[in-house]
Amino acid sequence: MIWRYIVKRIIWMVPFLFAVSVVAFLLIQAPPGDYLTTYIAKLGESNEVLDQATIDNLRRRFGLDQPLYVQYLKWVANLLQGDFGMSFEWRQPVSDLVWERMGLTFMLSFATLLFTWAVAFPIGVYSAVKKYSIGDYVATTIGFIGLATPNFLLALILMYIGVVYFGTDVGGLFSNEYKNAPWSMGKVIDLLKHLWLPVVVLGTSATASLIRIMRANLLDELSKPYVDTARAKGLSEFWLIMKYPVRVALNPFISTIGWVLPNLVSGAVITAIVLSLPTAGPLMLQALLSQDMFLAGAFVLLLSSLTVIGMLISDILLVLLDPRVKYE
Amino acid sequence: MRVGLISATALLVGMVPGLALALNEAPSLAEQVAAGSLPPVEERLPASPEVITPLNEVGTYGGTLRRVLGGSNDHNSILRIVSPQGLTRWKADFSAVIPNVAESWDVNEVGSEFTFHLREGMKWSDGHPFTADDIMFFVEDLLHNEEFYPNPPARFVVDGETMTAEKVDDHTVTLKFAAPYGTFLTELATPLAQEPVLWAKHFCQQFHPKYNPDVQASVDATEAVEDWPSLFRLNCGEVEAPNRWANAERPTLDPWIVTGDGYSAGSTQVVMERNPYFWQVDTDGNQLPYIDTLEMNVAVDNQTIVLEAIAGNIDMQRRRIDNLSNKPVFAENADKAGFEILNMTNSSANVMAIHFNHTHKDPVMRELLRNKDVRVALSLAIDREEIIDIVYQGQGEPYQIGPRPDHVLYNEQLGRQYTEFDPDRANELLDAAGYAERDSEDYRLLPDGRRMAFNIQYTGIEQPDWGDALEIIAQHWQDVGVEINTGSVERSIYYSRGEANEHDIMVWGAPGGLDPTLSPRDVISVHPQASWYAIPWARWYLSGGTEGEEPTPSMKERLALYDAFKKEADQEKALDIFRQIHQIAADEFEIIGVSLAPDLVGVVNKNLRNVPDQIPASWMYPDPGPTLPQTYFYAG
Repeated sequence: MIWRYIVKRIIWMVPFLFAVSVVAFLLIQAPPGDYLTTYIAKLGESNEVLDQATIDNLRRRFGLDQPLYVQYLKWVANLLQGDFGMSFEWRQPVSDLVWERMGLTFMLSFATLLFTWAVAFPIGVYSAVKKYSIGDYVATTIGFIGLATPNFLLALILMYIGVVYFGTDVGGLFSNEYKNAPWSMGKVIDLLKHLWLPVVVLGTSATASLIRIMRANLLDELSKPYVDTARAKGLSEFWLIMKYPVRVALNPFISTIGWVLPNLVSGAVITAIVLSLPTAGPLMLQALLSQDMFLAGAFVLLLSSLTVIGMLISDILLVLLDPRVKYE
Repeated sequence: MRVGLISATALLVGMVPGLALALNEAPSLAEQVAAGSLPPVEERLPASPEVITPLNEVGTYGGTLRRVLGGSNDHNSILRIVSPQGLTRWKADFSAVIPNVAESWDVNEVGSEFTFHLREGMKWSDGHPFTADDIMFFVEDLLHNEEFYPNPPARFVVDGETMTAEKVDDHTVTLKFAAPYGTFLTELATPLAQEPVLWAKHFCQQFHPKYNPDVQASVDATEAVEDWPSLFRLNCGEVEAPNRWANAERPTLDPWIVTGDGYSAGSTQVVMERNPYFWQVDTDGNQLPYIDTLEMNVAVDNQTIVLEAIAGNIDMQRRRIDNLSNKPVFAENADKAGFEILNMTNSSANVMAIHFNHTHKDPVMRELLRNKDVRVALSLAIDREEIIDIVYQGQGEPYQIGPRPDHVLYNEQLGRQYTEFDPDRANELLDAAGYAERDSEDYRLLPDGRRMAFNIQYTGIEQPDWGDALEIIAQHWQDVGVEINTGSVERSIYYSRGEANEHDIMVWGAPGGLDPTLSPRDVISVHPQASWYAIPWARWYLSGGTEGEEPTPSMKERLALYDAFKKEADQEKALDIFRQIHQIAADEFEIIGVSLAPDLVGVVNKNLRNVPDQIPASWMYPDPGPTLPQTYFYAG
């Protein structure tokens, strides 16, 4: 039953991704001009003139002199052979550029997810059970501040404090000596030393909103008759809350998994830029800004596939967790 | 006996024929020589290496120079510190070109043939000899190859004919043009004219079908590559692209060479190590560079780079942090972090140039904007001191356009005419020009009854200060009855409107302060994407009269002078031609400016030596390259 469901969903992905490729292509081409106009403009800012001959050469080299549908068909035909094309801007194969960034992006996102859950879950439960206590008010206040502060601003402030008062290095995920070093125990430890800052910065607002959701859901459940019944049967208070109402209130945690995967690529771009994180977001933003069609297109396709896969995973988990949810 | 033998040998190998210098090398290279993994320094250097006189003192070996690259696509930051090693280079003061990779040159009488003498025994960074064949490879197999260059780059084309080359001997090559090309040597010193000596034949020929019949197999085997020119560029690099710094295998003539993966989208750090075959020595015979390693971290956000600077993590840089507004925070942290403020002379003439569209599509507007009295009035109506105080922190002085006051081509009239604030005179001029009628809101009227109002386009995201200045100018012009509507537009929209000639007034940067002959677009309509005061004139000039619109006689005269300038091989005569151009432009007064562009700032480690106190900041002079970073060293 569940396998049929999964297969059906996967088959549906094919026309969906095809549609995405058309939309992505059109959207990236939608702004006036093309990569070359942006490129000429960028050179113009440093007073460099690109002569017409060179412009024509580049236009022909990148296939920008051909009609849109020809460009699209060439792109898709190459995609089907697993060739993402050559980045206009980097003049390097797109797949190298994309995958180089994905490893750390995955790691960072999962670390952030774990942090978010580890903080939001106990605090959410606590503030629901001890409603209107001092602890609840403190958690609520911090939560709302976390929700309201833009991540990148928090990052800048923490970095400034770090530099001026503690003399730490700023941004990035590694110290200088490990940046180009091969993986080793020292490099992992160095990574962990740097990881907390982006994780805290990226996780704050998600944590805050999860606390609020957890609290609200749990409050709905706590007044339900089955809780009273369980309590009347003499279950211990801790076990009672964990076993029944929390399990029901957990659904939003699972639903967020669907959004974790696409967030890998597009999430927190500004924060990643400020913190100089070597993740996918800044690269995608730059590709979009410069209309680097193949690089941006690869990211958009990847993003869409990850969204679909992520939603599928969270749907399956929801079914497993909550028998009331059906496949239909 | 044994001791005597060793010192005699040392003496023998230490002497180089034709050069009374004993050569020295960095300790790390000496170790490799001792271990047998590198030939001795005498064999690595040319018979007569270029002897550089360091700015202040002979240095010592060692150390790492740290810089920060601004995210993706900052490959030109690497180019600037490594410096484009072309046949010629700028003198450190940006006043003339001198030999670089070429040891010397001869020019024929008319200035159409350039014979370059290369250094005998000079080597690429992999130890392979650099000879005339490398230049012949570029000219014959790439420049004249239609698959590689469907259209040859304009700098190698004169009168429609592409440059040709003749090999005289292994170390002499003559580059020939169809007609005189006086500015060719200068052109070769600009950052993107390095092609003749960029590609090592012995390495790059494997990607060329003439030398490797099986090249198609490699093309098919490489992802994303569809033809041999792409494969060639991916592996051998190209002038204006990151891939140039992404292949550690590629032989170069640079003082430092990339290690590992170099610079690509995934890089968080680019490390470059000394080139053991670098071909310059100091006056004591020490092989350059002094500094072992360049270490360039990647940070995307400019504020992050400022933080790196004030944390003392940058040894020398102005790129991305050179805005004057950073000066206070640099000054505050300089002592603690151990750096000094680096003063950079802005190569621009003005912080902003206001381009009146002389080729406006609307005849009434065209007549208005082509009236010199109107332009004079609009210039006199601006209180420049107020703008300088409010927007530019008091740094600058009222200025129009043209070479800066300390430049050899400085023209006082071009730079300073009509910069005084005189609204009464402005009103008189506008009244006399026939625009005395006013509407109910006290704005002047055009002859057809419309209000005298201009739309001004500028790129506010890149240049927020222009928006601030325009707000003040709007007030000033309103006081003389002229309305402006300012619009900050996205850059590509800005370009498309300008190229469509749909603007009244555009604001743009004003280069040509230190590089007037290289960036003459504000005095001659030569730039189809920046001479905003007359885009159709620029098209007319570039198309040889078939497109665009015929310019005014005054502009045609200047364009003819510019053509003569490009052919003139005598530097002094060439400068005289430009003086004429500037004088005509000053009399014509086509565009106006606000304030002389103030100095830019950077940071420099206080222990770093041989760094000039004041460095020109320009792209044509890709600072700090021509100040020879290979001679920088750390004291103590």
